[in-house]
Amino acid sequence: MSNGDGVPSWEEVARRYGRKIYTFAYRLTGNPDDAADLVQEVLLRVRRGLDAYTPGSFEGWLWRITRNAFLDDVRRKRRRPTVALPEIDRGEAGSAPPPEDVLAAVRLGEDVQQALLDLPYDFREAVVLCDVVGLSYEEIADAAGVPIGTVRSRIHRGRSMLRERLS
Amino acid sequence: MSHSGELLSALLDGELTGEERSAVTAHLRECAECRAEAEGLAGARAAVRSLPALELPPGLLDFPPEVPDALEARRRRRRAPFAWAAAAVVAGVVGVAAVTGGDARPIDLGSVADQHTARVVVDPAIVMVRAPMGAP
Repeated sequence: MSNGDGVPSWEEVARRYGRKIYTFAYRLTGNPDDAADLVQEVLLRVRRGLDAYTPGSFEGWLWRITRNAFLDDVRRKRRRPTVALPEIDRGEAGSAPPPEDVLAAVRLGEDVQQALLDLPYDFREAVVLCDVVGLSYEEIADAAGVPIGTVRSRIHRGRSMLRERLS
Repeated sequence: MSHSGELLSALLDGELTGEERSAVTAHLRECAECRAEAEGLAGARAAVRSLPALELPPGLLDFPPEVPDALEARRRRRRAPFAWAAAAVVAGVVGVAAVTGGDARPIDLGSVADQHTARVVVDPAIVMVRAPMGAP
């Protein structure tokens, strides 16, 4: 689809990328409602933009739209500070500890998610686009509008911070 | 060669040129510090990559063909007061155009709501628009 002559239909984009867009937003915010909103917003923007899209790097185009929609949303919510990102309950106090063997994997996932949320935005975005979405450095550079060297540096610094937090 | 730094992450991602890769792997054979760093980075990379794939909330992508339009409509409704004002202005322009058109043709302003809107907006200038005013 990214290499054919044809421009994908709106429905194809929704089917093929909806889940990826949702996962991208969820890993960046830790919030399922924000992630669902973003999917709809991105698909709207894709639908409006498809007519003007000229075949090229479809992934770069799609993730640029996704990123811009995400940042617009963040800015909008910052202006209305009653909407806060929820803290992940890490189960450290109060309730009875869950059975280790059953929930170890879940908690590990929560720890990684929380460590992601602790990263500065630019690093978090680069790491998520690379390791969650699976984009190449070139595609990330295209999406974020920065040189490849910057992408390389952001991913490395993000991973270094994750490594410290998770050890 | 000094320590490999960010080249280590790019090595893990297969994002080095052949020349860079040769240099980094040669350095890793001799530098325990960089080997330990590469191992830690590989662990962080694997941790993020092993996060479970997420399912979309049920129904989020169950689009009948008209859903994109419905989404657009919902977005427009959030700006409803402005949409109403815009409709009023359009109706007003129609009314004024009819008035200033010069040849005194009565015009049909459409629905009752539109007629009402047009009357409110252009009232001071209304001279010739006849049909809507007395309409039931």
